[in-house]
Amino acid sequence: MFLASRIFCCRGIRTGQLRTDLLSRSIKHSVPATMPFRHKNTRRIEGLDSNVWVEFTKVAADPSIVNLGQGLPDISPPSYVKEELAKAAAVDRLNQYTRGFGHPSLVKALSQVYQRVCGRKIDPLTDILVTVGAYGSLFSTIQALIEEGDEVIIIEPFYDCYEPMVKMAGAKPVFIPLRCKNDGNSASSADWVLDPAELANKFNPKTKAIILNTPHNPIGKVFTREELQVIADLCIKHDTLCISDEVYEWLVYKGNKHIKIATLPGMWERTVTIGSAGKTYSVTGWKLGWSIGPEYLIKHLQVVHQNTLYTCPTPLQEALAQAFWIDYKRMDDPDCYFYSLSRELESKRDRMAQLLKEAGLKPVIPDGGYFMIVDVSTLNVDLSDVDEKQPYDYKFVKWMIASKKLSAIPLSAFCGPETKKQFEKYIRFCFIKKDSTLDAAEVILKNWNK
Amino acid sequence: FLSLSLQAKMSRPVQAQRLEGIDKNFWVDFVKLAATYSKANLGQGFPDFPAPDFLTEAFTRALSGGNHMLHQYTRAFGHPPLVKVLAQFFEKLLGRDVDPMTNVMVTVGAYQALFCCFQALVDEGDEVIIIEPFFDCYEPMVKMAGGTPVFVPLRPNPPKDGKLMSSADWRLDPAELASKFSERTKAIVLNSPNNPLGKVFSRGELGLIAELCVKHDVLCISDEVYEWLVYDGKQHVRIASLQGMWDRTVTVGSAGKTFSVTGWKVGWVVGPDRLLQHLRTVHQNSVYHCATIAQEAVAQGFQRELMLYGKPESYFVQLCKELQQKRDWLVQSLDGVGMKPIVPEGTYFLVADISQFKSDVPGVPSSDEPYDYRFAEWMVKNKGLAAIPLSAFYSKAHKKNYGNFIRFCFAKEEATLKAASDILQKWKQEKTS
Repeated sequence: MFLASRIFCCRGIRTGQLRTDLLSRSIKHSVPATMPFRHKNTRRIEGLDSNVWVEFTKVAADPSIVNLGQGLPDISPPSYVKEELAKAAAVDRLNQYTRGFGHPSLVKALSQVYQRVCGRKIDPLTDILVTVGAYGSLFSTIQALIEEGDEVIIIEPFYDCYEPMVKMAGAKPVFIPLRCKNDGNSASSADWVLDPAELANKFNPKTKAIILNTPHNPIGKVFTREELQVIADLCIKHDTLCISDEVYEWLVYKGNKHIKIATLPGMWERTVTIGSAGKTYSVTGWKLGWSIGPEYLIKHLQVVHQNTLYTCPTPLQEALAQAFWIDYKRMDDPDCYFYSLSRELESKRDRMAQLLKEAGLKPVIPDGGYFMIVDVSTLNVDLSDVDEKQPYDYKFVKWMIASKKLSAIPLSAFCGPETKKQFEKYIRFCFIKKDSTLDAAEVILKNWNK
Repeated sequence: FLSLSLQAKMSRPVQAQRLEGIDKNFWVDFVKLAATYSKANLGQGFPDFPAPDFLTEAFTRALSGGNHMLHQYTRAFGHPPLVKVLAQFFEKLLGRDVDPMTNVMVTVGAYQALFCCFQALVDEGDEVIIIEPFFDCYEPMVKMAGGTPVFVPLRPNPPKDGKLMSSADWRLDPAELASKFSERTKAIVLNSPNNPLGKVFSRGELGLIAELCVKHDVLCISDEVYEWLVYDGKQHVRIASLQGMWDRTVTVGSAGKTFSVTGWKVGWVVGPDRLLQHLRTVHQNSVYHCATIAQEAVAQGFQRELMLYGKPESYFVQLCKELQQKRDWLVQSLDGVGMKPIVPEGTYFLVADISQFKSDVPGVPSSDEPYDYRFAEWMVKNKGLAAIPLSAFYSKAHKKNYGNFIRFCFAKEEATLKAASDILQKWKQEKTS
């Protein structure tokens, strides 16, 4: 430490600064901290500290492991997207604050794209909020509209943040599982459905909202119009909100159509629809998302936003706006990235499914999204001697990472406490990966039994 | 497309109670006004000069470097190169070990760092002491966390020799400050160098606050975003380095202010693991990750500054020198027209007393609003000069006490400052003719 301070001195630090450093250091060593520490976490975050990603991204960070776990692309974003960011960063004023609720050119572009998709007018200033990823949109929506005494219906399996966010808002999550139609023999994500009677029973006067995720992570289910109508009818009957997480909206495969629940009769006024630049343009590291809905709901999200982080980064928003204009202009053209990415991913999906089947696993073919869940019980890997209290799928994934150098995510991470048993034979693979990654996965899967 | 008729809204109250009383935000209106009317915008606090080349070059290098994984998620609590260099910096500055993984967290601007502090540490019923004037977000953030803000003012002590007032002349009354600490006090928010006054708290003043924190076992949330902008050879003292303070202080910093890139929204907290662990919980349940590329570029910026620390080529040294000159220039301009500047010891803000200047100003409409709000609005609409009323930085109960001050931001190009000066000169001439 003393050497460091002498080096510091040679670098021309004012002697006052140096004296401070030495003085404070000597004080530190002479006063031990003996006072009992009363400053614990606040009530709102009690029990919310653990997180499946913190555990599994660390483990999978080893470069020798073929990482099909966390949902991030290892393919490159389209070159024009990267170019727009380079252009934006070169403009001086784009390195300073922009409009808090969303950079003007971005909210304008979003309103154009979504007006076209939804078939209704969307005001860029009042009906849209730009957030730090869809994650930030979920947080803003829940903080704005959910509180103690409320119940929020969450469909299992669910993107894991829904539960802690609802709890942090002081509300009670009420779970309802997707159930497999064919007695557990599932070939497709379409086999997983909600029981309408069971769903109806979850609604009561305390129900403030239901969180919908379509296309669905992790199963890849694309809710049909009829399924959405069942949910919509209940929302209207019970006067509840719908928080619709549609980050994978462009990733739907042949024979399927993504339908926005907000476009169903009676739903626009009670729905907040969430989207993601990360998933739309394969730029998860840009952390830009948006909430779209009626002004009287969005204005409360804006209040949360102005009291949490105020504005999102400017150059990224500008680049995203330009990318959207490029694709907006070709929304009638099959080369539009919204459609071309989907086609690219469909072939990766099919390849992944084939490889898994050849290894003796039972994949559930997703109709949308870039995840695939797989029933691993058929492999009969005995992990009963692993003396952890963790569910089977956690143990399986850890074993697979260690012995096969392949990573995935255990499905029970996406379940409430009651359903973990139902889902613990499944693990989730991410297939938005470049060919060489899938090639490496292929080698592992082909050699599985050797 | 069809324009559908208005469908039934939800019939019951829809927003959460935590939003009560925090929906108004002063900036939304003033930013709009400035955007519409200003010819010289000295209002909102952001530089209108370019960010330093070495930083924008780092951003471009990251983009063209062929590592497209920089467009994907990085480590949630902070991009490894950034937390590593921040830890190195703060180790030297605080004179203690700083672990990049547990003692540092990256946030979406200092704004989100503050949000994490309040959400992680302030519960319903907790009191939080806020020193007035204060950066306006502290109050609604405390309220949103269910806390009760308790205000204590810096009081002006005008120099007797008729010299210009300095931000150092605004001081806390020690007895008054001590009286604000109660059993319910959870934390005190310190902002040094202070926005809007520019006050740089002295070691003695910080020592007083520290003593009270230790005595009452209270946390300190220390907003030090302007830590590098300290003038006249003064020293920025970090309260976390004072006796008994590391274990109870979360120090907040900002790349936006450090490197003149407010639009990148990269901030951080530095503190003990047993406090930061709770901020991490809030962060992972609210935004989770911060944008990768900006963090990569800021890391490179810090690596450069670490090598050049204290040298004349250091951006921190150069920016500080440049801004001191701009400060002095603005002080002269204002003094020349009869607005009395309070010379700031730090930050890029300057507060001026307009009580003498305003006496001849016609046409400022009267209403319930504090005088300085009306003055600032009138000035931007009629003169094209944007500044911020000081009462925006006071609690509701105290807004009327300081109705004769406005805040100027001088992190502006020469042309902007000259335009402001020309407007003021012309205005003065109109008054006297």
